[in-house]
Amino acid sequence: MTEVQLDLTVNGRRHRVSVPAHHSLLDVLRDELELTGTKTNCLEAECGVCTVVVDGKSVASCTMLAAQCQGREVVTIEGLQDGGDLHPLQEAFVEHGAVQCGYCIPGMIMTAKAFLDENPRPTREAVREAIAGTLCRCTGYQKIVDAIMAASQRLVQQGERP
Amino acid sequence: MKVEFLEPQSLQDAVAMAKAKGVGARFVAGGTDLVIQMRKTGVLPEAIINLQRLRALGEIKHDADGFSLGALVTHRQIESEDRFLGGLQALRESACVIGGHQVRNVATLGGNLCNASPAADMVPILLCFNADVTLVGSSGSRNIPLAAFIEGPRKTQRAHDEVMTDIRFPKPAGKFASAFLKGGRRRAMEISIVAMAGVVSMSAGGTMTDVRLAMGAAGPKAIRLAQAEKFLEGKVPSKAVLEEAGKLAAAAASPIDDVRASASFRRHLVGVYARRVIELGWNRISEAGNDRSAA
Amino acid sequence: MNSPFRVIGKSFARLDARGKVSGKAVYGTDFAMQGMLHGKLIQSPIASGEILSIDIERAMAMPGVYAVVTAKDIPAQRYGSFVKDMEVFASQRVNFVGQPVAAVVARTVEEAEEAVRAVDIKYKELPGVFTTEEAIQAGAPLVHPAWQEYKAVPTVKRDGNVTNYARLVLGDVEKALKESDRVFTHRFVTNVVHPGYTEPRAAIAHWDDSNQLVVWSNTQLPFEAQATLAEIFKLTPSQVRVNLTVIGGGFGGKLRLGVEHYAAAAALKAGRPVKFVSSCEEEMTSALPRQPLTIELTTGVTNDGKILAKEASILVDTGATSGSGVGVASSVMLMLAGPYKIPNLRLESRSVYTNKTPTGSFRAPAGPQGNFAVESQMDIIADALNIDPLELRLRNIVREGDLAPNGQKLESVSLETCLLKAADAIGWKDRKPARGRGKGIACAWWTTTSGSSGVYVKLGPDGRVFLNTGCAEIGTAALTGAAQVLAEALGVELADIQIVSGDTASTPFDFGAQGSRTAFAVGNACLDAVTKLQQRMKEIAAKQFSAKPEDIEITTGGVKHGDKTLSLREIAAVAQASQGGLIAHGTFIAPPTLHDKERTENMVITAINSPSFHAHAVDLSVDEETGEIKIHDYVVVQDVGRAINPKYIEGQIEGGVVQGIGQALSEEIVYENGIVRNPGLTDYKMPTAMDAPNIRSFLIESPSKVGPYGAKGVGEPPVIHPPATIANAIAAAVSARVQTLPITAEKIVRTLAEVSTKAT
Repeated sequence: MTEVQLDLTVNGRRHRVSVPAHHSLLDVLRDELELTGTKTNCLEAECGVCTVVVDGKSVASCTMLAAQCQGREVVTIEGLQDGGDLHPLQEAFVEHGAVQCGYCIPGMIMTAKAFLDENPRPTREAVREAIAGTLCRCTGYQKIVDAIMAASQRLVQQGERP
Repeated sequence: MKVEFLEPQSLQDAVAMAKAKGVGARFVAGGTDLVIQMRKTGVLPEAIINLQRLRALGEIKHDADGFSLGALVTHRQIESEDRFLGGLQALRESACVIGGHQVRNVATLGGNLCNASPAADMVPILLCFNADVTLVGSSGSRNIPLAAFIEGPRKTQRAHDEVMTDIRFPKPAGKFASAFLKGGRRRAMEISIVAMAGVVSMSAGGTMTDVRLAMGAAGPKAIRLAQAEKFLEGKVPSKAVLEEAGKLAAAAASPIDDVRASASFRRHLVGVYARRVIELGWNRISEAGNDRSAA
Repeated sequence: MNSPFRVIGKSFARLDARGKVSGKAVYGTDFAMQGMLHGKLIQSPIASGEILSIDIERAMAMPGVYAVVTAKDIPAQRYGSFVKDMEVFASQRVNFVGQPVAAVVARTVEEAEEAVRAVDIKYKELPGVFTTEEAIQAGAPLVHPAWQEYKAVPTVKRDGNVTNYARLVLGDVEKALKESDRVFTHRFVTNVVHPGYTEPRAAIAHWDDSNQLVVWSNTQLPFEAQATLAEIFKLTPSQVRVNLTVIGGGFGGKLRLGVEHYAAAAALKAGRPVKFVSSCEEEMTSALPRQPLTIELTTGVTNDGKILAKEASILVDTGATSGSGVGVASSVMLMLAGPYKIPNLRLESRSVYTNKTPTGSFRAPAGPQGNFAVESQMDIIADALNIDPLELRLRNIVREGDLAPNGQKLESVSLETCLLKAADAIGWKDRKPARGRGKGIACAWWTTTSGSSGVYVKLGPDGRVFLNTGCAEIGTAALTGAAQVLAEALGVELADIQIVSGDTASTPFDFGAQGSRTAFAVGNACLDAVTKLQQRMKEIAAKQFSAKPEDIEITTGGVKHGDKTLSLREIAAVAQASQGGLIAHGTFIAPPTLHDKERTENMVITAINSPSFHAHAVDLSVDEETGEIKIHDYVVVQDVGRAINPKYIEGQIEGGVVQGIGQALSEEIVYENGIVRNPGLTDYKMPTAMDAPNIRSFLIESPSKVGPYGAKGVGEPPVIHPPATIANAIAAAVSARVQTLPITAEKIVRTLAEVSTKAT
């Protein structure tokens, strides 16, 4: 079997996996590494539930070939928490009622994470633009935007951001 | 089904691999189209040739002749490029309406052009800037005007072993502005039902000159609207002038009926957006100072 | 504000929030079992026809393939809610494109997908019917030629493609229409919309060594899944055990079996656990979208705007099976009459088969469709009579003590408050502030679905409280709401409560997460459990204090007798040490809603239980050239009886409104001769964060007699009004009245062109 031997860093941990060339990063995360915090749905980069951060950028893991991630840094929702402490984004989602069914939330948070890393002080409109690729059917987005705005302020205050 | 994964470290390697593997090989850059196609059709290529190690193709360069965008430049790079403010802002406007951040972070300009979707949002503005594409293959390198490169839906002049390396366009002279507008059912995540880009310059006499207008999603491929352009040349954009230009644009459209919109609605929107793009470009020139018009 | 409550009315974070933000929550798509195989469906490519042959030989020879399952592998019988017209796999005929005909079981999803392409199925295509109008013609092809052999509930009156013909009749409509100053007749057509839950339907099934079917799934209704699976596989219900995973949204789309039955059939044949997850294409072609309705509505009014009569003819397109469409055809009549006082009614509806996707019970089934018709027409009438649309409503709405169209007496009626508040908040006085800008309003009532609920409330030895329920948490936070009810009544903190949900073998029965009933019914069952627990606590304390149980006083967090106290924790410890712990079985069943049975004929849903009342208002602009809509402000005023957790109620409202905006403006499953032309999320256009407006919610608390602390059902209503509200605002903005959903930019531009053609 011609499989691609990959050395992949996920949430700071190195993994050596062997995958068929046409398999997506999502396949590897969920099926090989059993990191099911990253969700699966449309498989055509329309819904955003599979969003992870690769080399600091949000990507739809369903349309990214795993083989293309050789040597790259992947962060998933499981890598966001610092031990038992939630990341400020996660905390803000809890506090602001931004979570309903929760299925879009890992992708939503990872989308927001990459965005806030580049835009520490966004406007509400910019937040809406940033998460437009991640569909949520439960919340109508309002409390998600509230949560991201609150998290951005907290992150700036914590001095983690310029 | 076994798919070989090849990682050329140089352009020459990439071309050689494609030539060796033949038509069964597919190049991949961002992957946003290829992965979906593979899953939907169940048809896998014999080999996937990853272009992402060719980092030199991921840069936006600028010299006296104009701009050169590497084929691996992502949509996010374009939409956040500071040199694409002012007169070139329609490049940013065209790039930022494609998919979500997740897609734009990886989807490349080269991929967008080589896919040749009639609704590819980057094409109209690049047509306005008279962009050329460079293809490098086993028999050498060639430059083709973008207008000729895309032949029709999903059809281009690229041979299977040719790699698109960059997209170049000259900077228009003088005081000019650009604009891009698109129609779709939502404000994001939309495949355009009509896309319209325009570039307009202001003559010393205060009239429009060097007007360029291109539309996408209203025919088998994006095209320049020569008749409307010619009509607008030397005029001031009065309501009547814009109306007439819109009519000429709509007449040039050859849209289809599909699940997104009817042909007649697309044609109607072509007229509206042609007018509005020119109007918006003109307002931008009028608002901008001389020095701010171009990058 | 001084609240008499400690826990009720406070916006606590939901109890399952941390697991959901950390990625640890295990959803249906995430769940795995040792030895599990994967199944993929083979769907019919034709809308109507006979299956001639199924050749599985080539597929069976492929690597990793364990089984190909067809109708032959399971008992031959049909099942269904009102009419038993469904099959797991098509046995002889296929009735819609996307209908499962067989399934492949393989070691990996990819192997299963490859094998699906290798199964050779031959069909003979037959003529189909694709609209209700065609389907009710004499001599139309029958979607189910054997319909007379199907079992059905006795209430329904069937004939060929019609699965029920029902009526709601009051007074003398003919006479009233003759006496009316003006009579208005309009036709409204609504769209097929998908619930759009982000997690596809998923299930794993296996048969254990005692031949019990064990299923893990993301169903909304574990007990209904249990009953239906038992029926399909000829088992007793207790031979089926359904366990819930975390559920990635339902909205009614996961009420009926999703993929559990395929997994069960596949596991039976393969002898191993089998997992099925719907693909996006399967969701769009074979899930349970909302029924499209064609409504002809006639209303007779006096010149001063008093409604004298309404007449309606309604066609409900249920697709290839009747499903909940029979219910929709009944409840839409309650929607069409109301929420107005109308002395004469003659409403008739037919639920009709067509060769299209079977439909289901998407959030507020019948609500948006009926409301779009009745509330659009109210504005048309108001314009024609030159009466303000708000004023026209105020002249006709129901008020306290009025009778609903079915004759039920209405209580806790807050509609006038809702309308006035919505109008005030949106700035109604300036209804047409500028060219291209307008405001719209719409109002409705909705039911709180009944059905019985049981909970076990168990005290842990440390005083922690376990709320054990057979009801699913589908995302609404309604179980957190029920836990707040429990915490309030039991005198504990919300954080002391742990919810244990969804295992048909170990939880008490619950009618399930549907019909806006979860917090309402489970909350009430909790109250009953608290009463029982407190009685037991008194008995235990009495023993400890050598007192009589009736002399023991319940306090917040324990009991006391004179100066002696016992905390909950101490009582729990005693109970555990001496009598097998402390547990109470709380139950609830809503009292029947009395109504006039003379008025309803063949209706399978006849009442509006503990009705809630609500009004929406919107301020928007229309680009007359492109047809684009920009929503500036959206206001919801909803009577929730009692706001148990205001933040999550707002969440229900905001999410429901955006879902409703999707139905109003952008979403539609488009068919062409039974084939879905947009079977994916590229062209099924749910609102993005850029499309959703900010929504301002105002909660009215007009308590119901039945709900816990006065609560009314909350979850469904917000999705009802957006289509009508938006249609009315568009008409106010640009004088274009679009009577079909969705109101796309294209339709607006076309309607404007027609209006201007007529004008010249």
